[in-house]
Amino acid sequence: MEHLLLTAHHNGYSRAFNTLRSGQRVTEIQKNMDYLTSVDDASRCMKCGFCMSSCPVYGVDHMESHVARGRNLLIQWANKGEINTEGTYRDVLSFCILCGRCEATCPARISSATLAVQARARLVTQKGLNWTEQLVYRGILKHRSLVARLLGLATKIPGCSINEGKPLRHLADFASIFSRGLALPRLSSPFLSQRIPLRTLPLFGIQRRGEVAFFPGCGLEFFFADSGKDMVFALAEAGFEVVNPFGQTCCGLAVQSAGDLETATLMARKNIDVLSSFAAIVTGCATCSAALKRYGDLFSPKDPIREKARELSQKIYDFSEFLVRPGFNPRQITAFPLRVTYHDPCHLRWHQGIHDAPRKILHALEGVTFIEMKGADTCCGLGGSFGIKHREISLAIQAKKIEAIKKTNAQVVVTSCPGCLIQLMDGVRRHQLPIKVMHIAQLLGRETRGNVKQPLFF
Amino acid sequence: MGLPKGTTERLRKIAGEKGVLTSPVDLLTYSYDGTTNWEAKPEVVVFPTTTDQVSEIMKLATQDVIPVTVRGAGTNVSGGSIPVLGGIVLCTTRMNRIIAINAANFSATAEVGVVLHDLNQELVKHRLFFPPDPQSFLAATLGGCVSENAGGPYAVKYGVFKHYLLGMRTVLPSGTIIDLGGKTMKNVTGYDLPQLICGSEGTLAVITQVTLRLLPLPQAHQTVLAVFDNVVTAGETVQRIFASGIMPAKIELMDNWLIQRIEEVTPLGLPLTAEAILLFELDGMSEAVKKETEGVVDCCKKTGAIDVRPARDANEAENFWTARRAGFSAIFGNAPTVLAEDVTVPINRIPELIGRIRRCARTYNLTIVIIGHAGDGNLHPAILTNRKDPAHYARAEKALDDIFAAALDLGGVLSGEHGIGLEKKRFLKQALPAEAIELLKEIKKVFDPKGILNPGKIW
Repeated sequence: MEHLLLTAHHNGYSRAFNTLRSGQRVTEIQKNMDYLTSVDDASRCMKCGFCMSSCPVYGVDHMESHVARGRNLLIQWANKGEINTEGTYRDVLSFCILCGRCEATCPARISSATLAVQARARLVTQKGLNWTEQLVYRGILKHRSLVARLLGLATKIPGCSINEGKPLRHLADFASIFSRGLALPRLSSPFLSQRIPLRTLPLFGIQRRGEVAFFPGCGLEFFFADSGKDMVFALAEAGFEVVNPFGQTCCGLAVQSAGDLETATLMARKNIDVLSSFAAIVTGCATCSAALKRYGDLFSPKDPIREKARELSQKIYDFSEFLVRPGFNPRQITAFPLRVTYHDPCHLRWHQGIHDAPRKILHALEGVTFIEMKGADTCCGLGGSFGIKHREISLAIQAKKIEAIKKTNAQVVVTSCPGCLIQLMDGVRRHQLPIKVMHIAQLLGRETRGNVKQPLFF
Repeated sequence: MGLPKGTTERLRKIAGEKGVLTSPVDLLTYSYDGTTNWEAKPEVVVFPTTTDQVSEIMKLATQDVIPVTVRGAGTNVSGGSIPVLGGIVLCTTRMNRIIAINAANFSATAEVGVVLHDLNQELVKHRLFFPPDPQSFLAATLGGCVSENAGGPYAVKYGVFKHYLLGMRTVLPSGTIIDLGGKTMKNVTGYDLPQLICGSEGTLAVITQVTLRLLPLPQAHQTVLAVFDNVVTAGETVQRIFASGIMPAKIELMDNWLIQRIEEVTPLGLPLTAEAILLFELDGMSEAVKKETEGVVDCCKKTGAIDVRPARDANEAENFWTARRAGFSAIFGNAPTVLAEDVTVPINRIPELIGRIRRCARTYNLTIVIIGHAGDGNLHPAILTNRKDPAHYARAEKALDDIFAAALDLGGVLSGEHGIGLEKKRFLKQALPAEAIELLKEIKKVFDPKGILNPGKIW
């Protein structure tokens, strides 16, 4: 790791270090938190405890401070200055996996996941970021080109990447030392944006239906480029001209979840700039679409960009959501006979309310037998950095998920979020199951459909 | 208070490093239950995973005379699980194994930390049915339900927890482990100790395992919704249905305020001026359910319901029940603080109780929503108020006093299913003869001579 950073420095990657030198800086942006539900929201909690039935974390450790009811009360006390916000409180906040499932169970409809993010942001405002957070969030993640170059260097390390068609031994196991045992996927080499043209025309002979912008997000860009490519082709097959707009950056949800609203807004501004001119923007990452659909909330009502952000959010689609829009019907297309089950990413199911769309697509695939698993809509246990920070709990949640997958006797488990893909791939490996984990776009791709050229829509 | 030195270390030795919480922030989350009025922090929280560990903890507590408050999910609404004297909170949520489901004997044995909903989901797989359905079932633990003798809408036909309790494993405050009751449906062997401990609000012994009686899953269900322009008529309808020999599984009542909210959230096309809705569920053999449905519809029409709708299919039935849940949620979404009570009167006195509650609302200028189980006389008048507005809150508390007085006056009881705990302590003297309260105290002394189990509750 250190070696990498040194190389980075010599190659002129000094921005990352400049951020560190500039010290802790709390700006107006960070202080502006009215996007988030007001604290009063939490005070509507009637303490019924229904959140306990839907919280994956509580389901493992059964601790009141780790479930919405307890955490929301602590947040209220902390905001009133009645409790010490160091130590356990900080920890408590980190124990929310932000799946948002409890919000659907809550009779008072309290936005508990948002409240947790808000509380984390408040801590960042009060106490600043520590140096690793500063380096990672503000020094590296903020600059997409830097991320690309750093990861690009990593692909040169034998085994860390997978070249198209040339599987190498999984040396990424080595990297899992840094993720406390979570098997990281190999990097895609080359990255997705180098595999697809800036403009992909609709498939020849198919009626043109319009233009869409494609937002790959970091997951598909760097780790699951194959799926990203499949997605672009699926859209082209569906009659769309697919543009991969230049200058996109990370959606910002990772830093936002950590409470670094300032960096999140900067990322949002950049993406708003790049994407606003398009009529529709499609992404294959549940996390990205969840973030993009709530960009408006990041800005103060006084800021003119808030309106622009909201307009953009209206035009954001998850891949499956886009494919089954009203008036569109997925055609029965032939695929290899497969038993398939589906895992609902929390960012799709609970943050966007998308449940039917991916299932409609799966039902439309002739040859595919779709088997619903028990608890398809419960978290896989990754939750971004949660999966590394709280390894034991993450693994316990993962084990329940894997058990449910196993019971379906499916050959393939499909999902639509790179984070979930990582966690499920790790789980399948860990439990030594002969099950393939795929992005839903990959199932629509040529590999499974066997080059049968059939348009995706009527 | 302050724990004797070394207590937490000894607890860690018993329950493991991760089984003990001591940080002030963690302790705060064990300072409340489902009520809005009570808060008291324990000094330590311990999560035993076996009966033996519970026994060790109790031995330690008895030796050093440390108060122990047993807690499940803390969804109770009586203040019952609040550690008013500090000390140890013994949290059972990690004792959550279903030990056996005996389909041949229609019984199930489970540890007390099992969540009622989880048990039900297991039972359905065996086509078995455990009827008591406190509405906290999504989170409530079996231990809590037995300790509070909980019940819910199904009580009309099926009764409450005590009717399904066959046996239990308990730990006395001294640490002694005793199995009480058994697995049989009938059992007259000395005093019925499980029944005594059921509903004792965690003041007599720590329950670690329960054996419950089960029923076969009913074959068919039918929901009927009836709309009335007069609450009294709704009350009379319930009487008439019982008199005709029909025993619905659930009879839920909702008032005009709720009808309006339901129409806002999940419109069912109900007249906004209607005074009351009754929601019935009939269950049993398909043929019987069909016949009973006809009977209920007939009764409703005869007493003058303005609309009667048997659900056309499972979907519509689900919509009706969703509407009820939405109405219930609306209560809590419409006020910062809600005082939801559970007074219970003989079923024929329901119309009078409703009248008294309404008068109360007018006298104190408050919104009091009435939702309840019309079939068993158990009403939940919910007073919408705000704890941060002292004048308003004071009026709400006065109204509450009046409602309790009205219930007792009509031959009813303070609590149908929530328990006394802290919430209704000050009314106990009105509700029970002094001699009875003395008897309760004597019984408590026999079980818990040092008074360490859930002190400060009931009286």
